[in-house]
Amino acid sequence: MTTTSLTLEEMTKVEGHAILTLKITDGKVEDVHLRGIEGSRYFEGLLVHRAYNEASWISARICGICSCGHTIAAIKAMENALGVQASQQTEDLRVLLTLGERIRSHAAHLYFLALPDYLGAPNAVAIAADKPDAVKMAVAMMKVGNDMVRRIGGRDMIPESATVGGWLHFPSQEDLDSLRARLQELRPGAVATANLFNSLDLPQLKNTSENFSLHNEKEYPVHEGTLKSGNREFPQTDFGKVVEEYHERDQTANFVVREGHTYMVGSLPRMANNFNQLSPEAKSLGGKVMANLDNPFYNNPAQAVELLDAFDQSIAMLGRVKVRPEPMADIKFKKCWGIAAIEVPRGTLWHEYELDDSGHISRANIITPTAQNLRSMEEAIKLYLPQLMSKSRQEVVDGLETLIRCYDPCLSCAAHFLRVEGL
Amino acid sequence: MSEKLKVGVLDITGCNGCVLSVAFNEDEVLDIFNLVDVQAYRFVSDQATEEMPEFDVVLMEGMVASPRDLELLKKVRERTKVLVALGCCAHSGNIPAYRKWADPKDLAYLHHDKTDDIADVDPTPQDFHVKVDATIPGCPPNRREILEVVKSLVIGKGYRPYTMPVCVECRRNNNQCLLESNKPCLGSITTGGCFAICVNAGLECWGCRGQTADANLDAFMKMLEGKGFKRDFIIERMRTFVGLKIPALETTAG
Repeated sequence: MTTTSLTLEEMTKVEGHAILTLKITDGKVEDVHLRGIEGSRYFEGLLVHRAYNEASWISARICGICSCGHTIAAIKAMENALGVQASQQTEDLRVLLTLGERIRSHAAHLYFLALPDYLGAPNAVAIAADKPDAVKMAVAMMKVGNDMVRRIGGRDMIPESATVGGWLHFPSQEDLDSLRARLQELRPGAVATANLFNSLDLPQLKNTSENFSLHNEKEYPVHEGTLKSGNREFPQTDFGKVVEEYHERDQTANFVVREGHTYMVGSLPRMANNFNQLSPEAKSLGGKVMANLDNPFYNNPAQAVELLDAFDQSIAMLGRVKVRPEPMADIKFKKCWGIAAIEVPRGTLWHEYELDDSGHISRANIITPTAQNLRSMEEAIKLYLPQLMSKSRQEVVDGLETLIRCYDPCLSCAAHFLRVEGL
Repeated sequence: MSEKLKVGVLDITGCNGCVLSVAFNEDEVLDIFNLVDVQAYRFVSDQATEEMPEFDVVLMEGMVASPRDLELLKKVRERTKVLVALGCCAHSGNIPAYRKWADPKDLAYLHHDKTDDIADVDPTPQDFHVKVDATIPGCPPNRREILEVVKSLVIGKGYRPYTMPVCVECRRNNNQCLLESNKPCLGSITTGGCFAICVNAGLECWGCRGQTADANLDAFMKMLEGKGFKRDFIIERMRTFVGLKIPALETTAG
């Protein structure tokens, strides 16, 4: 009997730090274990006793890449708890913030993190030597996403202007108009990105995870919708009834839908559940993804299709929204509970809060996309390994890193990632 | 032309927002890669840190929150001429360092791992453990300041950090003073250099860049108490980002 153990440490081009451990005996994969190795930051516990409106600015510090996502998820969970209905204008500005983050995150991930894998280049700087225009375009798309967040939210990360019940500082109409013009100018870059990722020859892989995302008949999901996983659909408030959290081994938190299925969140599941709501041109470029919905590698082309859709949604919205100063919504405190799920670049993000009757947090619970994808990633690695068995060690490492990276994991979003049973 | 500076952009426990802020200088990011020799930028490059090179400059994000963090920080220090603590976690331990004042009962439901490499240690800033040559504070750090520091190091001139309170830049931006509308703004006791970016966007300053050398905490606290804020709240707010860097509060609070 020969047992091979492989430990992959210090993966590059992912956010945060993780270790992957494999155990293979006589050519059979016995154990796959992926875990984050960041220090613990206890964000949820540190939110306890804070006022309801502090959660968005504090939880945004969980992640530099998804800071808009945490901001909006916290705000919406609070509003759901308190029974506050924000104005249409406020909701529109929030959607634009999330779309800006989606654009910059997808552009950065696709060109700087994912593409080097598929082109066999060490990094995007090396690609820039060969294809300077493509990398310049990627940076320009990242910049327009950043500019949406800056002009609408106040800063490129951890936006200050969004808050429970309204908006603190309104963008000017000129800001919105110039963003729209710039998005229109750069839109061909998003089309080219979708074509580029459709042209890649991706590995074959059939994963068994359910595709889990918000679902919304009216629009490609951002903040609103029911949850869809496989054939089931349920309201956001049923999260605890449908999704099960369990702990094992070194007590990393794992999430499955009840009855034991693993699920995947992210661009591929969003497309699987909402193809018809994509913008017409994004839809026309989505055929290859839709034919490969059980192959996690197609999360990358799905991101590229979503990038174009986010351009189209933003352009349409910026043509419609006319910002006028508005007062904040009235807020009355009561003992209450609220949950919100929104779609951030890496998948479905959950914030859940309990408030006391003075508007202070008595319990906080934050579940990030990567925490939910952990089990699906391990399962995909297990299914992919047989294809790599005959290859060199370096090829195995490269292959596994490519697979992990295509999920666009955010391993420092560790709010829930390193949870342990302290018994 | 002399040899290019060997630069590392590295991180220990944090959110990667600071290393991302380097790249958010979109118009200059490719120039930076030409101007200096980026030896390690895990977020962009495949060059891993197994065989860690010697650096002229390292921009180091993050706090020490695990034995692994400390090990890496010390290793980087040994191999680096100029170590720049990048961002609030590096400077003060940021929000996670507030654990020092939190009720352990509130954290108990987040039972954490006790395996050796991610053992649970109270978060601390980098300069509690190694000598830091410069600090770029703020959560997130001002991306233009990062650029200024890199440029200064390239041309070999000293970088003089901004020392005036946030109010100076805030007044220059013609913002309405948020203290006047009864917001608990910490701008007057906080070091600026951020262009008052939060107040520009309607949010009061939370003090993430640390207090000015001459901050008068007693007077400031009395002023906010006069506006109806409770002492406990004011202290909590002051400690949110930089609690470990306000020794004066230990005596004032008592």
